[in-house]
Amino acid sequence: MTREIERVAGIPVVQIATIVPIMLTVGTNRIVPGVAIPHPTGNPALGPEGDRAVRRELLLRSFKAMTTDITEQTIFEK
Amino acid sequence: MRLELHKVHITGLAFAEKTYTSGGTLFICKDEAEALIAEDRRFAKVELDLASPGDSTRIIPVKDVVEPRVKLDGKGYFPGFFAPMEKAGSGRTLVLDGAAVVTCGPIVAFQEGFIDMSGPGAPYTPFSNTYNVVLCVEPEEGLEKHLYETALREAGLKLGVYLARCCSENEWKADEVQVFEKGNTFEETAKYPDLPRIVYVCMNITQGLLHDTYLYASDLRPALPTFLHPNEVLDGAMVSGNCVSACDKNTTWHHLHNPIVQALYARHGKEINFLGVIPTQESTILDGKLRAAGMNLSIAQQLGADGAIISEEGYGNPDTDLCLNAKFFERAGIKTVLVSDESAGTDGASQSLADATPELDAFISTGNVNEMIEVPAMKKDIGYKEAISLLSGGAEESLRPDGSMYVELQSIIASTAEIGFNKLGCEWV
Repeated sequence: MTREIERVAGIPVVQIATIVPIMLTVGTNRIVPGVAIPHPTGNPALGPEGDRAVRRELLLRSFKAMTTDITEQTIFEK
Repeated sequence: MRLELHKVHITGLAFAEKTYTSGGTLFICKDEAEALIAEDRRFAKVELDLASPGDSTRIIPVKDVVEPRVKLDGKGYFPGFFAPMEKAGSGRTLVLDGAAVVTCGPIVAFQEGFIDMSGPGAPYTPFSNTYNVVLCVEPEEGLEKHLYETALREAGLKLGVYLARCCSENEWKADEVQVFEKGNTFEETAKYPDLPRIVYVCMNITQGLLHDTYLYASDLRPALPTFLHPNEVLDGAMVSGNCVSACDKNTTWHHLHNPIVQALYARHGKEINFLGVIPTQESTILDGKLRAAGMNLSIAQQLGADGAIISEEGYGNPDTDLCLNAKFFERAGIKTVLVSDESAGTDGASQSLADATPELDAFISTGNVNEMIEVPAMKKDIGYKEAISLLSGGAEESLRPDGSMYVELQSIIASTAEIGFNKLGCEWV
């Protein structure tokens, strides 16, 4: 889906998911590693405040990924 | 370490005044067995039923299958569950070979399955060939899912141990004694210095949320990969706590019978030097997957392994664990053969694993989980046939008004079991 949105609509896509090797295999271009499969975009183990901080950081990193020029598949680590 | 499995071949089931075995029939005192399971106050209702090969019977939804066993020179079975926390794998074990306890009840989670005792669905599951004591329960109202899973898992083990213990306390005679004997890795390597050293990596679903496997009654999810003598696996060290897709869950029965362990054992000292078993994790976190693959390799390297057989449990994200294991081992010079099923779509044309790596170059397929199958109505349903609408491989429209079903193979228990206990394979086209 991420590849098709980029290819057909020309909209840059950032994919947040946990298992980075699968994203590399399927051809995702902008990759932000998620936390865990049951909760990719947060960490409930850290409590409400910690969870919010994780979510905010992931979102800000995704914005950065979206606005960064790339020439190959790129993983945006913390 | 020497393990003797004293097998009584069971070829019939009947309810009776007491629980014992005679002439190949397992007689069960229904009231006593039900009362034993009903001791657990988490169940509102407990009922036993029987299903034999050839019966027009469907069992649905099935959670786990357990072979009735008990230690003959110790207490109970399944260390930490219904035996003292002792090492498994040595001494004498009574096995009611051919009998199975099948646990059933209102659905615990969506990844349970069904067993048909006859008809076109029967050949896909080993449990159409076993004489099944079906434990059907209802949980008390409001019981949380994870507590229900625990209760039903333990009840299956408890009933299995009860059946075998009662038989051991009455007159019985083994039809067959199977012996598994092997020294430690250093002794065996000294004995067979020229044989290739092979380790078996047994991947297990360890993902929480009712996707767990237990080793000596300890949840493997927060654990690290470890190393076992194969006898421990064949004698009750591993227990399924899984509600993963029915087709490729390793039930507790599968662990006890692990065909890869048995096949490697049979070749030990002849073609290979079978080092032992690495039970390992499939984490929900990428670092967890990398850690497990790295530690699997570390254990294999310390044992001097030349080759590894690696079996997966489940599909989807565990395909990455499979690929990481292949990659790490092959790059370290240890040859690997991988065993897994495929999720290739109903037409078999889709990419069959979620992940891929060039090192995965020796692969044994145990079948396509998405293959469609039509199964007719059975005369008798044990459990809740409408559960098919919620099971993986089933849908709202799967159950037709006439009782027949059109479903994916993945809804049949163990139809594509990835330790190889089935009759499916693939052919090159």
